[in-house]
Amino acid sequence: MDYIYIRSLQVDYLQNNQTIAALENVNLSLPQASTGVIIGPSGCGKSTLLSILANLNPNYEGRVLLNGKTPRESRDTALILQEYGLLPWKTVWDNVKLGLQIRGIPKNKIASRTEDILKKLGLLSLRKRFPTQLSGGQRQRVAIARSLILEPKLLLMDEPFSSLDALTREEMQDLLLELWKETHLTILIITHNIEEAVFLGQKIFIMSACPGTIIQEFENPLAGDHTARGKMEFLEMCSILRSYFRRGEKDALSPACL
Amino acid sequence: MRFLPLASKILHILATIGFLLVSWQIFSILLDTPAFPPPEQAVRSFLKIFRSDLAGHLGVSFYRIMFSLVVATILGVPLGLFLGKSKKADRLSAPFIYLTYPVPKVVFLPIILILLGIGNTSKIVLITLIVFYQILVTTRDAAKNLPKEYILSIRSLRATERELYQHIYFPACLPAILTSLRLGLGTAMAVLFLVETYATREGIGFFIMDSWSSLAYDQMFAGIIAMGLMGFILYLLLDFGEKVLCSWVNP
Ligand SMILES: Nc1ncnc2c1ncn2[C@@H]1O[C@H](COP(=O)(O)OP(=O)(O)O)[C@@H](O)[C@H]1O
Ligand SMILES: [Mg+2]
Repeated sequence: MDYIYIRSLQVDYLQNNQTIAALENVNLSLPQASTGVIIGPSGCGKSTLLSILANLNPNYEGRVLLNGKTPRESRDTALILQEYGLLPWKTVWDNVKLGLQIRGIPKNKIASRTEDILKKLGLLSLRKRFPTQLSGGQRQRVAIARSLILEPKLLLMDEPFSSLDALTREEMQDLLLELWKETHLTILIITHNIEEAVFLGQKIFIMSACPGTIIQEFENPLAGDHTARGKMEFLEMCSILRSYFRRGEKDALSPACL
Repeated sequence: MRFLPLASKILHILATIGFLLVSWQIFSILLDTPAFPPPEQAVRSFLKIFRSDLAGHLGVSFYRIMFSLVVATILGVPLGLFLGKSKKADRLSAPFIYLTYPVPKVVFLPIILILLGIGNTSKIVLITLIVFYQILVTTRDAAKNLPKEYILSIRSLRATERELYQHIYFPACLPAILTSLRLGLGTAMAVLFLVETYATREGIGFFIMDSWSSLAYDQMFAGIIAMGLMGFILYLLLDFGEKVLCSWVNP
């Protein structure tokens, strides 16, 4: 069954008294407990799409269902933003427990669940630090812990690893896959990185700008295979994607866009 | 090891006090007038009259300052956060604030005196009004400039309005609020002196002016020392509050 179901999605923004179509006729299906990746040039509406799914923007036309519910009704979505969205004035511990606190979970349960998730992500010794005292990878771990503690069914990530160095990035990709296998989450990730898309996405969606829409969709059997990096098929998949990605980028430079 | 920074800080403060006293001494020798006694005389007078006179006046002044600061904070912070958060309220109030903010509030002193009498109330109201504006504007601007990622990240958790204030707006703006309080404290001390120089027989401002008019310069400088000490202690308190409450700024 599809966890994410999007048909004819249209999103307009008002810019300087002009309506601008950020998304037009977007169709997307992503099965339960699978991973999807969206790639596309910047400004093509990727973040907008996630904001609709995360119920941060109620102004859209079309049909959007998450496990059969509208984004407004669904309570099982977690969103990790580009810049992690960690609160600098809260310690690791307080950042992670915030979601439970807002849900009104009893205090003793908050403490034990926070401890569990921090342990799982190897963050327990860092619990008293503030985000500015962490490395990029550690911060990303905290962001993930903060989302997973709510036991979501859908995890949305907006270019989560883009500011990490290559090694940390691969480490985080492995961690994410591990968590995914363990929790049977449905995960939708936005990335700029083609290798990352092939490594993480069972389904890969390519977007173009002007109008912001999905121009191509791939099934990717290589996703989630730790040994896949560097294999012939892996590189082939990357090069196919790259050619489509280029096409999307060219559209972004077309006269209609400027 | 942990004591070293504190020890060196205290040493630094002591050295600065020493420097001030030496400068004072030099000036009093150079000026050579009874209106500018050497520090030794002033300090001796301070110690002599502290219990009998100064403490009482200091208490009254301290009360006026603290009361004003607390009321200005209680009114200014929530209103500032609200205006910074709500675009509509900000738009509605902005012209009013821009028109009234630059007007020096001390010009309202006569009106406040007529309306509220010459007692404590009018003095406290004037100091409060001035500090309130500073806190209001600083807090509003801090809240307005908050990166929207912070708000989104907690909005997506379906936080209530109250929780937005509790977890985002208030803690995020706290450093700015404390800065405005520090600036406000400086202004408040100046206004305090002004409002205590007439229509009252209490407060450190009155004591200084009263000593001056009776040519008791030693006492006058004892009063100045007392006022300086009060300001210094209040600054220390604010500093301490900032260290405890905003440890995340410079962890
Ligand atoms: N809040 C907004 N108001 C007006 N226009 C917006 C807003 N957010 C995004 N846009 C515009 O919508 C388009 C898509 O933006 P976005 O979804 O952020 O793209 P991406 O994440 O793919 O880079 C861009 O042209 C952007 O300028
Ligand atoms: Mg984006």
